[in-house]
Amino acid sequence: MPAPRVIRRREGWLLIAPLAAFLVLWLGFPFLTDVVYSVSQVGFTTLRQPRLSGFGHYAAVLRDAAFWHAMGFSFRYAAVETVVQVAAGLALAVALAPILSRHRFLLAFILLPLMIAPALNGLMYRLMLNDFVGIIPAYLGMLSLSPDLLSTGWVFVTVAAIDAVQNTPFTLLLVLAALQAIPGELRDAARVDGASAWQEFRRVVLPLLLPVLGIAGLVRFIDSFRVFDHIYVLTGGGPGNETTGISIYIYKAFFQQQQLGLAVAASMILLLLSLAALSLLMHRSLRGAVA
Amino acid sequence: MIGRTLRWLLFLLTVLLLNLPVIVTVLTSLKTDADINASPPVWLFAPTLAHYRAVLDDPTLDFPRYLANSTVIAGGGTLLALALAVPAAYGMVRSGAGARLVLPLMVNLRAVPLVVFAIPFYLMYQVLGLLDTRLGLALIACIINLPLSLLIAVNAIAELPLEIEDAARVDGARTRVILARIVLPLARPMLISAGILGFITAWNEFLFGLILSTRNAVPVTVAATFFTTSFGVRWGDTAAAMVLSMAPPMVLGLVAARGIGSALTTGAVKG
Repeated sequence: MPAPRVIRRREGWLLIAPLAAFLVLWLGFPFLTDVVYSVSQVGFTTLRQPRLSGFGHYAAVLRDAAFWHAMGFSFRYAAVETVVQVAAGLALAVALAPILSRHRFLLAFILLPLMIAPALNGLMYRLMLNDFVGIIPAYLGMLSLSPDLLSTGWVFVTVAAIDAVQNTPFTLLLVLAALQAIPGELRDAARVDGASAWQEFRRVVLPLLLPVLGIAGLVRFIDSFRVFDHIYVLTGGGPGNETTGISIYIYKAFFQQQQLGLAVAASMILLLLSLAALSLLMHRSLRGAVA
Repeated sequence: MIGRTLRWLLFLLTVLLLNLPVIVTVLTSLKTDADINASPPVWLFAPTLAHYRAVLDDPTLDFPRYLANSTVIAGGGTLLALALAVPAAYGMVRSGAGARLVLPLMVNLRAVPLVVFAIPFYLMYQVLGLLDTRLGLALIACIINLPLSLLIAVNAIAELPLEIEDAARVDGARTRVILARIVLPLARPMLISAGILGFITAWNEFLFGLILSTRNAVPVTVAATFFTTSFGVRWGDTAAAMVLSMAPPMVLGLVAARGIGSALTTGAVKG
């Protein structure tokens, strides 16, 4: 940011102070709680007097097969969502750009799924998948198909597809904005030089889109990794713990199994992992600030 | 010509697929129970508002209260986030304070999944008496909205011309006055987009509503799940409840689609 210094730094910090104070209180305190409780002996009756007890909770988490299953689910899920949403967003943006550039208001109908709570989206699919009133079993039944889409073989595909349908508009939007920013002369020049439509896309357009595809993928990976809402309302993490990602694992450990130490230690591990993602983003921001 | 037709066909199919759950839910909410249970599914029917009446009038459901909860929580959280973010953004842009580290750190906070703080929040709210209160959930909504609100405010203020401010400063105006009389009016379109996007995000929040509320402060996203479990097969009422829960963010989204689109792009690309 090229900052024209029109007020003193001291005054600047004064204006930032309320925000900073709020963040220190509302994020700093929970953070400290996580740190202390993850290395303490603490139960619901001794919440105010945690006794330091070393790294036992971490060891317990790392020995817990369910934890590794949840991490595996989150990674697989996030990887699938990232690839599918970036690819579908790219394809749809390129195919629909001529329409959406000329009739801008139509974009609203594409963006509509982004306005819906993922939890409600999950509930709507419960209605659509219901054996008695749902349209999906009804029409599959007409084709003499009756897969239980929430059973072991299908459930990953089902929850992943629901997410992809809801969030592909986001990647589509980013790619569309980047497409519209490409100067027309560049594409004209390629055409004048005799490039085919595919060559024009492959050699001119795609290289220019790579940065935004990277950003879109990163954002979608981060958001998909912590997926909770629509899976929780659709399957509760099941059948078994089949669709239990890391967020649902932490939720269940604390709110259903009352394993406070385990849940807090798992939170800390997830926090450390997300700091890796944070530093990746910081790297990008700082580089952007210098450039 | 064929290319153009295919493109429009693809557009229509995309819109249909993306919005299929909403279409099906809205239709279900307007059907009689007989039509809901009809097989094969019926698409043309005489609509009824009975399910909406059932949801809104039944005093044991308390649905209007859930709607009010979400409105207060999302509205309060959004306004508080803007109230904190706008002065801070002005301070950062005009003095350079915090621009190197504090700003990127806060903007990229979204990389940290808030579920890692779910348990501390629960414990902290228990101690502070904020469990199951609208204030407690509004403060969470504020945190969730802060990164994007700050980023949008910084971008909006960085684009404002300095001349008017300089003139006011020469006339002896204090920063507080400049913020209120000059910066706020000029940055208003961007800040309204940020506010609408923030309201939608906060309205749609689920995890903290689930964890931190039990009765009094339950938001509609959580309340809607009560319906599917307690109602069993009363899908008409459930669908009506879902439509009522989705309507505010969807209407806002349709009305302000362009502003939201650019706000979302800013949030991702300029972070």
